[in-house]
Amino acid sequence: MAEHPDGEQKPGWADTKAFRNAFLGVLAVAALAAAIAGFLPQFQKEHPHFSVEHMGAFFAVYGFVAFSFIVLAGQHLRKLVGRKEDYYDERE
Amino acid sequence: MTSASSFITALAVNPAVIMTVGAVLGALIPNGFAAIRRPLMMIFVAMSAFQLNRLGLGEFGALSIFGEPVTMLRIDPLSRIFAVVFHIATALNLLYAWRSRDRAQDFASLAYPAAALGGVLAGDLITLFVWWEIAAITSVFLVWAPGTRATFVAGMRYLTIQVLSGVLLLAGVVLVYRETGSFAFGEIGLRDAQGAMKASGLVMLTAFGIKAAFPLLHNWVQDAYPKASFSGTIVLSVFTTKLAVASIARAFPGEPELILIGAVMTIFPIFFALIENDLKKVLCYSINNQVGFMVVGVGFGTAASINGAVGYAFTNIIFESLLFMAVGAAVYRTGTSKATELGGLYRTMPLTMAFAIVGAMSISAFPGFAGFVTKGLIIDAAGEANHFLIWLVLLFASAGVLEHAGIKIPYFTFFAHDSGKGPKEAPPEMLLAMGISAFLCIAIGVRPEPLYALMPYPEAVADYHPYAPYHVIEQLQLLLWAVLAFAALILLKWYPAEVPSTNLDTDWFYRVPGRGLLGWAVAAVRAVWRLAWRLFSTRTQEIMDRIYAVHGPEGALARSWPTGFMALATAVILGLALIIAFAA
Repeated sequence: MAEHPDGEQKPGWADTKAFRNAFLGVLAVAALAAAIAGFLPQFQKEHPHFSVEHMGAFFAVYGFVAFSFIVLAGQHLRKLVGRKEDYYDERE
Repeated sequence: MTSASSFITALAVNPAVIMTVGAVLGALIPNGFAAIRRPLMMIFVAMSAFQLNRLGLGEFGALSIFGEPVTMLRIDPLSRIFAVVFHIATALNLLYAWRSRDRAQDFASLAYPAAALGGVLAGDLITLFVWWEIAAITSVFLVWAPGTRATFVAGMRYLTIQVLSGVLLLAGVVLVYRETGSFAFGEIGLRDAQGAMKASGLVMLTAFGIKAAFPLLHNWVQDAYPKASFSGTIVLSVFTTKLAVASIARAFPGEPELILIGAVMTIFPIFFALIENDLKKVLCYSINNQVGFMVVGVGFGTAASINGAVGYAFTNIIFESLLFMAVGAAVYRTGTSKATELGGLYRTMPLTMAFAIVGAMSISAFPGFAGFVTKGLIIDAAGEANHFLIWLVLLFASAGVLEHAGIKIPYFTFFAHDSGKGPKEAPPEMLLAMGISAFLCIAIGVRPEPLYALMPYPEAVADYHPYAPYHVIEQLQLLLWAVLAFAALILLKWYPAEVPSTNLDTDWFYRVPGRGLLGWAVAAVRAVWRLAWRLFSTRTQEIMDRIYAVHGPEGALARSWPTGFMALATAVILGLALIIAFAA
């Protein structure tokens, strides 16, 4: 691993604030652009199967909500099924 | 009955047999020459591929068993697409662990894919059964390869479940034969002509469902696969579940129950994957989720959805393997696959990281990658069928795929926190295998036409345009906003930290209460046996004592008889004879 002469580790490119900000910026712009494009007629389905597809940003909202729900609700599963790491070692 | 020569001819023509011969020859190579084992095996994979290509479509190796015709080799569009991707995966897996010198593992790395290949190419149920069992038996060597007690008992559990599937398959074969009078492997269906459920269909679907890891039958995957070696897990991840998908696609297309089963499969693993710390196990849950999409595709049963299911199987094998390879490389270099112990590897393993991201973007179905051009066919099928709920479920599951396979795998392996580990980059052969896989992910994503031409119903995909502007935007919205949600959760520190833990799943039932029940049953049988033995031995002793008392040296019957007694007895008998003669 690359180290400074004084012994401290030099942060890798992905750990720099500049990269983090650039990544978040590009992501936000791209996500916003995709959401806006959904309202433009040339990016809309001619014969949608379901009425929700008429809403320009349906997939954006659904993706955001679904992901958040999975993470925020899913972590509680740990309380139900989480055990010590050596749970089976003691029993087999 | 078939003559020996026609049987041998039927075997020799079969690509799966060619691969099996390669595996056996490889296993016979002494350990001193282990370095030539994998190159030799690779030659046999090439020969098998050549043979597959040479034969083209058709049925080969027709034989007669018990007076019934069987077709050991059927290359039709459905089996061909699986056969092609099985060859690709086998070759890449051999390359990935090129330096392996483990005889059993090397053998299994070719014999097991060969058996799965034989299974998808089987034209009759007897042949399918034989390859089905060979796949079960050869694959367990991969689970046992690390040689610890934990892998041994996991292997035994795995083998028990796989053989159970085989036994059910055999029962199903008998039921199908009784019903149709034929061993031909075609559409079986779940219902008879009157619309009632039929036993043959249910038994066959259960046999296939075990191997496809249907919900509640799924946990052998998470139990066994991660315990194999870093390369064994990759081999295992490809074949068994996809052989099952190919079999379900052939036998049960359009069964509505499959839509529901598949939808459940796409959802529940997402939550288990979220809380799982072992990244190999996360990918095992991902297998369940991905096979769920395929099962839904088969369940809709239209030409387009079957194309979607098998096309998705094709691409999934490549990008799921790529993710397993990337995690495998991290395990190879660091000795761990725990998210809590990994992180920050991007600095020293940048190429592996880049390949992992290609795999992650492919499985998440980003436009430009392999998943995008095939998954849409399945989700569109839900739309075509006006199945709004299933359509929503599949989109929800797509966000879930992004979470556990698209983000969690690369993020916790290569980024997240700095684990302090600075391992070397993966060895060249691993990089090459990952590089070829990543290339295929992008090549198929950019130019899907050759894959579409391989699909079972190419005419049904002729009008499918994955890069229609609305499709690209819909998918980008779904994925980018899901990534945005991830970024927001990380910044808000709401994303749950990984913790070292064991998460209970259905295997708990047979590993803890089941094991307890078995222990109790063993103790009960032992106690009954001991009681029975004690009763038996006590009674036997009593009888022996009585016999001894009568016949023993002191016994009444062991007395010596004086000569006078004999003379008296003779006189009495003669006297009696005289009286009887006089009276007569």
